[in-house]
Amino acid sequence: MSSPSPSPAGRAYPNGNPDLGYNPPGARHTDSAVPLKRAAPVVHDYACDGPAPGSLAFRWIYGSNVAAKNRDPRVQVVQYNEDTFVLRQNVCVHWEAPFTYLLFGNQGALLIDSGATADAEHYPLRKTVDAIITRWAQARARDRVSLTIALTSGEDVAQNQGLVQFAGRPDTTIVPKPLEAMKAFYGLGGKWPTGTAAIDLGDRWIQVIPTPGAHKDGITFYDPYCDLLFTGDLLFPGRINISNDGDFLASLERLKAFAATHNVKWVLGGHIDMMFVPGKYYARFATYKPYERVLEMEPALIDEALQYAREVRGKDMMLIRPDFVLFNGVSPDARTQVWPEGVPNINAPRPF
Amino acid sequence: MDRRTFLAYNALAATPLAGAGLASLAEAASAASIGTPVDFKSNVPAPGSFPKKWICGSSSLMDNTDPPVQVHWYDPHTAILRQNKAYSYEAPFAPLYFGNERVLLLDEGFVQLRNDWDLRAVVDQCIEDWCSSNGRAPESLELLVAFSHLHADHYAAVNQFADRPNTRTMGLTHDEMVGFWGMTNFPEERVTLDLGGREILIWGSPGHVVSEFAYYDSYTQILYTGDMFYRGRCYISFWEPWFESMQRLIDFCDTHPVTHVMGCHVEISNAGEDYPYGVTWQPDEAPVQMTVQQLREAFEYAKRITEPGIYFTGAVFLCNQTRGTTTIDRNPYRYT
Repeated sequence: MSSPSPSPAGRAYPNGNPDLGYNPPGARHTDSAVPLKRAAPVVHDYACDGPAPGSLAFRWIYGSNVAAKNRDPRVQVVQYNEDTFVLRQNVCVHWEAPFTYLLFGNQGALLIDSGATADAEHYPLRKTVDAIITRWAQARARDRVSLTIALTSGEDVAQNQGLVQFAGRPDTTIVPKPLEAMKAFYGLGGKWPTGTAAIDLGDRWIQVIPTPGAHKDGITFYDPYCDLLFTGDLLFPGRINISNDGDFLASLERLKAFAATHNVKWVLGGHIDMMFVPGKYYARFATYKPYERVLEMEPALIDEALQYAREVRGKDMMLIRPDFVLFNGVSPDARTQVWPEGVPNINAPRPF
Repeated sequence: MDRRTFLAYNALAATPLAGAGLASLAEAASAASIGTPVDFKSNVPAPGSFPKKWICGSSSLMDNTDPPVQVHWYDPHTAILRQNKAYSYEAPFAPLYFGNERVLLLDEGFVQLRNDWDLRAVVDQCIEDWCSSNGRAPESLELLVAFSHLHADHYAAVNQFADRPNTRTMGLTHDEMVGFWGMTNFPEERVTLDLGGREILIWGSPGHVVSEFAYYDSYTQILYTGDMFYRGRCYISFWEPWFESMQRLIDFCDTHPVTHVMGCHVEISNAGEDYPYGVTWQPDEAPVQMTVQQLREAFEYAKRITEPGIYFTGAVFLCNQTRGTTTIDRNPYRYT
């Protein structure tokens, strides 16, 4: 598989100039609210300079003090841009509240991760994804959109449980879970973990970067259209459980090298555990997290994670940083009295 | 007696002490109520049973359809309440002991607001049910709201009872707690609370926290040990007071018949597997009641403990001064 062609010099807006107003001259005021009736399949140009516009300008559903009384949507869908969706499981369905990403290209869609609950009644991931795909296909006048489902870790029960909902779905490829089968699928057999692979969604090439460390089959995905890194359990604003510190360090080093040669706007992980005050985090199993940190991490945090991964390497300890906490060789329930120097120690309000 | 004096009045002073020559007062009080007084003195221990399985949360909490609190009638005069794990991971147990003149609610549940869930309505319903089957008027029964120790999952609901008529609640300081039972020599002193023919023996049991009591019901002969000894992780903050409290429990069991030893939580499966702190679904949880033998074994085990750490006695985990560094559970994905 080859890499996408570099974008032409100079800023081009093949899909429409965002500086222009919403309504071109002559448009009626209802036009933007009516679904477009396309005459032929739309071919979107995924080559662009810098990250494609997009935002996560919506607050995440944060559970309830009394979890049994929560009536929020089971899957929260936030549209990052026309071709990129962020889905999150309601924390009162499963305390892990994992993020799931749905990316579209001209040929097909990619679902990254699948949530922590298998039961479609409790967590209707398939239904939600099908609805998004149907709506997207209508807007782009496409009859069929093939779906690929890949996991940031096949062994992670907080991310692989929803897979069963997609069993037997037509036009669907599920990347196999066992490590060796997964390597073979990506063609990484001889070059794990130093090589990379790619998934072609049709003019949108998603890079596959092996990043074991938090899981032995950890994968990071890179989207060169939105310039996003999807790191799963390797790097996210929360309690990062290191499963092999050597691999963890090496993976962060590779990520750092990758980010040096590619544009990275944000790192998007699989969960949020941190609060919006530095260094404070929600306990495991929390089902009410009203003061959560935002999901997106600046790419500079890769360097910071790398620096502190070196510090914890070979030691059984946990280490608090403003945007993440590292647990190496200790219980996921461990605590520490050590507070990072220079970081303000603020107590977020405690509900109840 | 005005309301202020009434609230401040200690429960034992207002209660005929067993064998203190005040029996006539008790008789007068029970004669005033409509039904025949229940005899709590003969045929003890009263036969009773625990449920095979308690309500214990669910995999998806927002799909939990169980009631917020499970009410189990151990016998016709003893209800045991247990919070649903989907309403709080603490899910404490709370016994409700009925006597001819008053009702004792021991511990509450991890809830504060009546619109989160209404513990007071549940307790009122229990009292109403008991009164209707025993021919009493609910207004004639005094409710004592007390707790085993000074932790929020045991006292948080106290304000739900603030304006309940004919109710006295334990204060939220050590002095008020000790004063509520009229103790002057905590923790050694053992006092007797008379619920109207039904005696509850109470003494100090510090160790998990300083302010903790053990409660023994002479009717069911259940020994209620609070959070200092329960089927799960007994977080022992102060080892020596805890060890002395265990010695007191053993001494008590040597001299009194005990049917069950019961704590406030369950955090362990039938297979002895630990349910980590904070889980909200315990599909295979162990029973809450323990035997005196299990208490004795734990004490024998504790005699050999000399250092902080987590020890499994076969029935419970003794977490000796370890709350900050719990290490029972591990990262399941570790590899080399």
